Amino acid sequence: MPETYENGTEIEVKDLNLWYGDNHALHDISIDIPKNSVTAFIGPSGCGKSTFLRCLNRMNDLIPNCRIEGQVNISGEDIYAKETDVVDLRKRVGMVFQKPNPFPMSIFDNIAYGPRIHGMSKKEMPEIVENALQSGALWKEVSDRLDVSALDLSGGQQQRLCIARTLAVKPEVILFDEPCSALDPISTSKIEDLILELKKDYTIVIVTHNMQQAARISDHTAFFLLGDLIEFGKTNQIFENPQEKETEDYITGRFG
Amino acid sequence: MARDQFQQNMETLKGFVIEMGELARNAIVDSMQVLRTQDAELAEKIFQGDELIDEYELKIEKCSTQLISRQNPTAGDMRLVVSCFKIAIDLERMSDLAVDIANVAKCMEKNDQEALENILKMAELCDKMLQRSIKAFETLDKEMAYETATKDDEIDRLFYKTQSQLIEKMIGDKSIITSASHLLLVLRYLERCGDHTCNICESIVYIASGQRVKLN
Repeated sequence: MPETYENGTEIEVKDLNLWYGDNHALHDISIDIPKNSVTAFIGPSGCGKSTFLRCLNRMNDLIPNCRIEGQVNISGEDIYAKETDVVDLRKRVGMVFQKPNPFPMSIFDNIAYGPRIHGMSKKEMPEIVENALQSGALWKEVSDRLDVSALDLSGGQQQRLCIARTLAVKPEVILFDEPCSALDPISTSKIEDLILELKKDYTIVIVTHNMQQAARISDHTAFFLLGDLIEFGKTNQIFENPQEKETEDYITGRFG
Repeated sequence: MARDQFQQNMETLKGFVIEMGELARNAIVDSMQVLRTQDAELAEKIFQGDELIDEYELKIEKCSTQLISRQNPTAGDMRLVVSCFKIAIDLERMSDLAVDIANVAKCMEKNDQEALENILKMAELCDKMLQRSIKAFETLDKEMAYETATKDDEIDRLFYKTQSQLIEKMIGDKSIITSASHLLLVLRYLERCGDHTCNICESIVYIASGQRVKLN
């Protein structure tokens, strides 16, 4: 495991265990995720990578019978502490899902939704919306039709809108759960370019089934298997010279 | 085993490298025979063999680039594909050196016996090194690769020793300058063959362990 990072550590996870009822789904996960960089989680279906991602903004709290033990610190703060405000946590740790999920409202209102909830004034809104759409690499394509329904956008545009919506509330961390799996290669490459741009200002964690995507855009890669974190290291090392046989078998397609 | 087609293609690629290695070995052994006998026909066989070796280099290049573009090899697979490409370049150079030796050797009239014996000894060492490195490649045995590369020291020792002896003899007897300078060329070509085999051993260590080492 890398010891120190150029920009410091954003997320520290220590001995995290998770159960869905009797099913022990994550086993003693410990990992330090670096700040202002892209960390990819890879592994076969059911390995726990998305479950683990959801632990990082307490999305698993919504699942009945889910029990979590261990510690997750984000910017030094224990997010599972009793006093943690979960709404505020999800503002700090935004999430983008596999399938674009814009609200059935205008492009403008999609972006303004979060800032409004968090009490930002109406006067500031046009600037917030423009900045978020600029950062989400969508402004040029929609600046003349902010009032049209977000559902009229293409899949790739909808996904960038969802990213822009996340950016509008100024998070520290953005979690991506297979953000390109429903997109064509051109939209995928736009999202990948965007992620590389965003890491300058945010800490990015991405779950992907596309190993080449992990290889292309991430700085570090974590490989999960059957609820265990098997290997975590620099992406160059993982894809050139993995230290664990399971990792090698998986990334060379010989798994199973 | 998953990815059967990919696995087959990788085996084909490895097979090409092994076959090419055997061809390069034969070229060096034959070039020594030309040095001993000035057999022009055998020299011609080496020249033709070099064309075949060039074809192998091209086949390995094509196979490697197709595997990279279509199969996205990673980890040990990626190291193997990239290294096959590199090993093919070393083998092609060795074949060129065998051609150079044959070109010089076929027109040599008289040889300094002591130098000739050292050269043949060097060639034998080269051949053994190449044989062992092909074996190490076949089994991806990094220990064998390390051990094989150490033999280059003996080749280098013979190279420097024989070079000094020939220069001294040329100073003493100007009439041998032409034949001795031809032998110096052959010496140099064989010494380079040893270096290329070391490169191959480095590639094998990289495939087997992911470590980039300098063995030369």
